[in-house]
Amino acid sequence: MTTARLLLTGWSWNPMAALVAAAAGAYLLAFRGRGRPVLFLAGCALAALALVSPLALLASRYLFSAHMAQHLILLLVAPVLLVLGLPAGCRLPAAARGLLRAPVAWTAGVGSMWFWHVPALCDAAAASAGVHAVQSASLLLLGAAFWWPIAAPDPRDRIGPLGGIGYLFSACLACTALGIIITLTPAEVCPIFRSPADPVGILALARRRWALGPERDRQLGGLLMWVPMCLVYLSAIFVELARWYGEAAERAPSAPPGEAA
Amino acid sequence: MSGAAPALPAAPSILTPEEQAHRRLVWISTVDHKRIGILYLVFALVFFAVGGLEALFIRLQLAAPNNTLLSPDTFNALFTLHGTTMIFLVVMPAVFGLVNYCLPLMIGARDMAFPRLNALSVWLVLFGGALLYFCVLTGPPTMGWFAYAPLSETPYTPSLGVDYWIVALLALGIGSVATGINFITTVLCLRAPGMTLRRLPLFVWINFVNAFIVILALPVLNAGLIMLLMDRRLGTHFFLAREGGSPVLWQHIFWGFGHPEVYILALPAFGIVSEIIPVFARKPIFGYGFVASSSVAIGILSFGVWAHHMFTVGMGHAAENFFAIASMLIAIPTGVKVLNWSATLIGGRIRMDVPLLYCVAFLIQFTIGGLSGVTHAEVALDWQTKNSYYLVAHFHYVAVGGIFFALLAGLHYWFPKITGRMLDDRLGRLGFWLFVVGFNATFMIQHVLGFMGMPRRVYTYPDLPGWHWMNLLSTCGAGVMAVASLVLLWNIARSLRRGRPAGDNPWEAWTLEWATTSPPPAHNFERLPEVRGRRPLWDLAHPERPDPPTPSGDIVAPDHTRAAVWCLIASEAAFFGVLLLVFVFFNISPPAGPNSRNSLELGRTLAFSLCLFLSSFTLWRSEAAERRGQRRRMAAWLGLTILLGLVFIVGQGREYLGLFHRGIGFGTNLFSSSFYILTGFHGLHVCAGLIALLIALGLSLSGELRRRGASPLGAIGLYWHFVDAVWVFVLATVYVLPRLL
Repeated sequence: MTTARLLLTGWSWNPMAALVAAAAGAYLLAFRGRGRPVLFLAGCALAALALVSPLALLASRYLFSAHMAQHLILLLVAPVLLVLGLPAGCRLPAAARGLLRAPVAWTAGVGSMWFWHVPALCDAAAASAGVHAVQSASLLLLGAAFWWPIAAPDPRDRIGPLGGIGYLFSACLACTALGIIITLTPAEVCPIFRSPADPVGILALARRRWALGPERDRQLGGLLMWVPMCLVYLSAIFVELARWYGEAAERAPSAPPGEAA
Repeated sequence: MSGAAPALPAAPSILTPEEQAHRRLVWISTVDHKRIGILYLVFALVFFAVGGLEALFIRLQLAAPNNTLLSPDTFNALFTLHGTTMIFLVVMPAVFGLVNYCLPLMIGARDMAFPRLNALSVWLVLFGGALLYFCVLTGPPTMGWFAYAPLSETPYTPSLGVDYWIVALLALGIGSVATGINFITTVLCLRAPGMTLRRLPLFVWINFVNAFIVILALPVLNAGLIMLLMDRRLGTHFFLAREGGSPVLWQHIFWGFGHPEVYILALPAFGIVSEIIPVFARKPIFGYGFVASSSVAIGILSFGVWAHHMFTVGMGHAAENFFAIASMLIAIPTGVKVLNWSATLIGGRIRMDVPLLYCVAFLIQFTIGGLSGVTHAEVALDWQTKNSYYLVAHFHYVAVGGIFFALLAGLHYWFPKITGRMLDDRLGRLGFWLFVVGFNATFMIQHVLGFMGMPRRVYTYPDLPGWHWMNLLSTCGAGVMAVASLVLLWNIARSLRRGRPAGDNPWEAWTLEWATTSPPPAHNFERLPEVRGRRPLWDLAHPERPDPPTPSGDIVAPDHTRAAVWCLIASEAAFFGVLLLVFVFFNISPPAGPNSRNSLELGRTLAFSLCLFLSSFTLWRSEAAERRGQRRRMAAWLGLTILLGLVFIVGQGREYLGLFHRGIGFGTNLFSSSFYILTGFHGLHVCAGLIALLIALGLSLSGELRRRGASPLGAIGLYWHFVDAVWVFVLATVYVLPRLL
């Protein structure tokens, strides 16, 4: 097996991808071009790619780092695109609004990251397609819940920019803590990746060609959780700040000169 | 500058005539933020003389190859003390001094939120300095300011000086956290009407952001220092590889603090430059929003890139590449800031006064230091240059050419406000040029020396071709800087007595500190101008074309105490976070001998934990009763809370006794060490909470609690709930999870 062959033949079907495609279709039908379809569809495409591409194959049996990359896409990158794609004024039903306060959303996002790295669960998700489907769905949903207070289409559902910075920074710290543990300690959060069964014959490619021994694979996974995840949060923080200072420029012409706090 | 105000007082003076009579007492007992700021600056100046002399001796020793002026041990002691002094006793106090003086003035406040806490912080600087220099009597620390284990451990450096160094840094660290909390609370609670967060002068905003870094980064160092002290005095082996400890862990903890520390020092410098450049270019700053928000980005990134200090340790290629990228990223917000400052200068009506001269030198030198910094983010290059003089040159370009020059700019800029007198312009220019020449002569050549392979941290070197004259040049440069420092001191001393009276606003600046007299009265302002934008004094002087207004919507935190306790909680959370990570680090694969599974009793601890968690509930009831004004009910719930807390502490005491009886002491193995430090510090916090609750109970029984305006119970309650929340994590990490996983 070579890298090129893996990229060509490593695609696999996943029922979750059908759900994602269905979501994309429903979005197009329901909103008919309102909102930002490019963002929403990009989110769907990313999620689907993470589920059916060779990355999914690697994540399911071979590489902890690939698992983490998939986790990163499903929990952080795809959901924020989905939420941003919703048309303005789109709100949750009142009951869900009451439930989805910032602390709950924060716990959903950060908690799902910690929860799925309990060794037994992480192994189960890698070994069984059913558990993996539950995992993917929960990551997408809880990820969307996490982003809701930051990127909700209706400004009333968002927390302010300064609160948002605290929200994102603390999330960054929480994933840093887990990333540090995985990278720097001998912790084995997914023991299954240590000696993977190799039905397709990719292991030699990963271990020799890519020089990803179990040790380095684990370290890489931890680092993916630590550095790129925090960079996603950091980018969001920067957007929040830009929005906050940008308000000044937008509102300046209309604001009365003597306005005071 | 031209056309000073007509009716100047003949001799502006910091102390009033009545105070002159007992001025020693005035300075020792002061809680006024302006005087505390001056004290900080004076301490910084004194320690600058000390640290500067140490640097001179270092350079004299290195002036010639195979020099024998200093013994190797003396050299090591001097360079340890030089690093520690310059960072903790010069730059940090100087920054805190300027912020202390200017921050309340710039936001139109009467004083800091907690004046007495402020006084505690400033005297802790002196206390810390005294502890550090106590080593002159006990034998100095010789392990370097970074105190790498195992070199800093007893077998390798038995001298008591290391212990004094540790305790000194702990004292300074605690003082700094207190200062950070004070800054944050002041900015959140005490802004003048109209002074919204988006209208803050950049100096204030940047130092506000910086205060968050201070309260989150210093606890990391404190946790490491306590572990090192335990290694040295209580027989633990956190950092001794021989016993299973990890010297690399020390480096992670030290740089986990150390890299944010770089920005703790650099961000205030950015703040100073962002204030001065617009005033002397007669233009508003270019891209206020970017400068303000990139400071936040820098602050946050600074916590994620410490590992680039450790590329030569051998963390594995994967880790190195990630941190190389993250470290290069941090250059973006910093680099664009340099463009912001340059763009502010472009097209301005530039007045080349001394503060601006220092800022321009800052821009150039800091850019050089920043660029050589980026080369260190490149791993392969870093391996070659890390332990050479190239690195010494790099960080001195940042620390001296950047930060120190910015501090001097700030000193020249605010000196008229602080003393009411101008610094002498000619002496100022002379000092500036001497500093520029001396600094660049000292450190530019060190880049070359580094490339030629001269290692750093060595007390002497062989007579290799070229090394002698380069080192001699470097030493001559240091001499020129010493002369420059003398010129600066002479200028300050002379201007204090004979300087030209400054008037309220000698630079025609736009921020609020210039709206009051120089020096300001004890209450700061007679009346405040209306604040509608970022340059209130511009709006005042040019009512016909004011700045475009900035939005006014804002957060307000009316209750000081709660805001401060939240900051304290954040800081403590960082501290416990480190201890928890250390516990996980050492126990993820249980060490031989006692461990969580075979030594701890889960059932009994769960019972006692229940008491602690219940105490949160009873305290909540007590707060509710207080709000309804039911005094006796409140006291009853409060008493019950204290009782439950005591039961928990007694339970912990029993656990400790049981462990001691079975011979499990601090140093038995890494489980016991990390267990005792984590639960011990939690226990200490419970005890502190109990004392606070007892005081609240006493006050409420004597009826004192209600007579005070705001009740302290809410704030104490926050702290108590936090201590309980920490126990949830400790319980899970120490007792429960090791049994499940």
